Amino acid sequence: MAASWRFQRMPSASPATAFGARIAAILLALIFAGLILAATGADPLDLASQVIDSSFGSSFGLQDLGVLLVPLILTGLSVAVGQQIGVWNIGAEGQFYAGAFGAATVGLFVPGPPVLILPLMFVAGLAGGVIWILIPTLARAYGNVNELITTLLLNFVAILLVFYVSTGAWRDRMSNSATRRLSAEIPELWGSVHWGLPIAILAALTVAAVLAFSRWGYEVRLVGSNPSAAHYAGMPARRHLITVMLLSGAIAGLAGMLEIAGTVHRLQGGISNNYGYLGIMVAVLARNSAIGVIFSAALMAFILNSGIILQTQGLTTSAVLAITGLILFLTAIGDELAHYRIARDKA
Amino acid sequence: MTETAIPFSAPPGTPPLVQLKGIAKYFPGVIANEDVDLDVLPGEIHALLGENGAGKSTLMNILTGIYQPDAGEIIIDGYAKQFATPLQAIAAGIGMVHQHFKLVQAFTVAENIHLGWSETPRRASAQALEARTAALAAKFNLQTRPGARVSDLSTGEQQRVEILRVLARQARVLILDEPTAVLTPAEARELFKALRDFVAQGNAVIFISHKLDEVLEISDRISILRGGRKIATEKTADCNPRMLAKLMVGRDIVLADMRHRAAGAAQISPEPVLRLDNVSALNDAGDEALHGISLQVHAGEILGIAGVAGNGQRELSQVLAGMRPVSGGRILIEGIAVGRSNAAAFVERGIGHIPEDRLHSGLAPALSITVNAVMREYKHPPLSSGGAYHPGAATTLAKEIAAVADVAIPDFGMPIRNLSGGNQQRLVARREMRIANKVLIAAYPSRGLDVGAINTMLRYIVELRDAGAGIVLISEELEELLNLSDRIAVLYEGKVMGVVDNDKADIDQIGLMMGGRAQAREVA
Repeated sequence: MAASWRFQRMPSASPATAFGARIAAILLALIFAGLILAATGADPLDLASQVIDSSFGSSFGLQDLGVLLVPLILTGLSVAVGQQIGVWNIGAEGQFYAGAFGAATVGLFVPGPPVLILPLMFVAGLAGGVIWILIPTLARAYGNVNELITTLLLNFVAILLVFYVSTGAWRDRMSNSATRRLSAEIPELWGSVHWGLPIAILAALTVAAVLAFSRWGYEVRLVGSNPSAAHYAGMPARRHLITVMLLSGAIAGLAGMLEIAGTVHRLQGGISNNYGYLGIMVAVLARNSAIGVIFSAALMAFILNSGIILQTQGLTTSAVLAITGLILFLTAIGDELAHYRIARDKA
Repeated sequence: MTETAIPFSAPPGTPPLVQLKGIAKYFPGVIANEDVDLDVLPGEIHALLGENGAGKSTLMNILTGIYQPDAGEIIIDGYAKQFATPLQAIAAGIGMVHQHFKLVQAFTVAENIHLGWSETPRRASAQALEARTAALAAKFNLQTRPGARVSDLSTGEQQRVEILRVLARQARVLILDEPTAVLTPAEARELFKALRDFVAQGNAVIFISHKLDEVLEISDRISILRGGRKIATEKTADCNPRMLAKLMVGRDIVLADMRHRAAGAAQISPEPVLRLDNVSALNDAGDEALHGISLQVHAGEILGIAGVAGNGQRELSQVLAGMRPVSGGRILIEGIAVGRSNAAAFVERGIGHIPEDRLHSGLAPALSITVNAVMREYKHPPLSSGGAYHPGAATTLAKEIAAVADVAIPDFGMPIRNLSGGNQQRLVARREMRIANKVLIAAYPSRGLDVGAINTMLRYIVELRDAGAGIVLISEELEELLNLSDRIAVLYEGKVMGVVDNDKADIDQIGLMMGGRAQAREVA
């Protein structure tokens, strides 16, 4: 008699299987991307070796990765922090701009030595992010308004606001599309990699430690996992929701501040490079683990960097978007499949 | 059963509707079923009795095509069959109503009935579907409202929709998994009548339960499973509760009077530890659900709360545990009125709470066993110091709680939903007992548990009473209340109909109060 094979769904996926499924998803996405490139007439192996060579083969490639890592870690961390309490912060993009805007205000108009201006810019960046998520936070906490929509819509307001001031009132007469150079900048650490990178990594480690080793972190995890149980335990669920959402906004704002103070050095439209939206992917790939965010941000930085290299080979920018989309799509499938195991039935 | 249909009698030589022979099913490291034989005859209600984990659900999942057996045969009407999917099983006339309904909440009754059914008309208007549903409901004598949304229905009504959905697909064998767990007694009686009508036409019902009384009332024959094997099949007429309990658990069970205090047990205190003084409270919809309740709980006593579920028990237990604000009256703990309600403040004052729906409100199912076990004590050393939380100390405490609860746990980091219902309840009970040095509010502590686990749970409660805590025991099992309580208060539509001393308790009188008749004269 023939034995038949069959999928059996398990109630929970083991961590090892889940991790394996993610790796498989990423590899599959890259293979797919290679096949598509081959179909368009390019030689995928040649392209791959070029990508790897120019990403890791030279100090310039590594520096580019380091620069990209800073905003990606922080926007990913911003989304992951919101997820601890069950909130989807789709507005990291807008909070990034608001943080950049706040920091630029200080950097352009407050006179003083960099040692004073930089901390002020830091605070202004955090404040920008916090202010930008304040309305969605209060609406969610007191009116139960879905934050997906409010945070998303405020992105467009922030993006247009930055465009408006950088091409209007604050524009530099030389460029017309950006402000003049800020009075202070974050010192560089290695080549173009600035001190923002250790700050971003430190931020991720701090969040991870606070979540695991503080009473506040314990309560946040419980409120996020089951609000009814938190109510039963008498935890201040609303207060935690507000703090976590504001923290999420502050981290995205910090990303914006570090980007203009460390990399761009002026305020201009389009500075975020979609980092806010990519942060959602970074958080999803990291399964909302604050430490995992560092690694998935590194992967994302590599993909972005590959896109830039591929562009020099005559490929369109959409190729990168397609690859990131493929990874997210296959990861979602992989996560579901990790719940299954193959069982053999004797018929 | 007075006005039931005439029992069906099969002509001699009719094969059983369902015959299982030597069924076995193995999961990694577990024998779920082994060597199970079962005959289900036309016209009978066949009860399947067993503790949690005895293999009842697995066996029924095999019969309905969800699992395939590793050994054995399924014979339907005398012909061997193999079901690769549930669709093949329902085509062969075998349908199941699960304990947790599988209805689409946002759809109407008619839409749910016609979902995924080959006989659904291809182009069906809402009216056409509702007319068909009304016709089916009339045919099977199951009252439903075809146009109503499932989310607006009571659990009893939802169950009728589930049953109708199975019967509409010409099922001849109806499998019901713990059908009365979610029903009021009145709804349960209606269900039993519908089942009697169904089998009177030569069909069969397989009735999964662990409530002994109910099984004795409804079934014609009883099969008992234990450890994945069938222990016995008996005619119900030859059975009694004690013998069934023994077969089910494999040992004698004491379901007896537990009011006796051992020497050295705490005395009942003269002053109440917890007092409700004319307390009113609103339900989630904002309507008043408790009206002017006055109750006193003394240390070292068990106060039982009797009543049909849905008469304010949920709100009362939440008010007692500080989870629900009062809209009128006062709550006094050791004579001191408490101000604004906060569950954490009640915990600090020594009031524990076993909630009625532990998965929904007493636990965070997706979080680890450790996180769940320390939910009451995480604020205190050694678990925390300043604002810091020490995961290592938390795991130590979780291990301690698991040890007294006698639950073997391989990995304290795994989600608590992976544990069985009985083990979850034990952990919750032990967690609450640790902090409940004044009062424990136990809402339906034995709901969903098998006889062995119920016994453990009741032993815990008595142990805590003897240690000097006051217990409020909310239950719908009158026998359980009579066995444990020193006094019994009866709740009806948010009011206390009366409080009786157990010694002078008269079941008929309590029954009358549960039905809304006020107590003739105050006894206590």
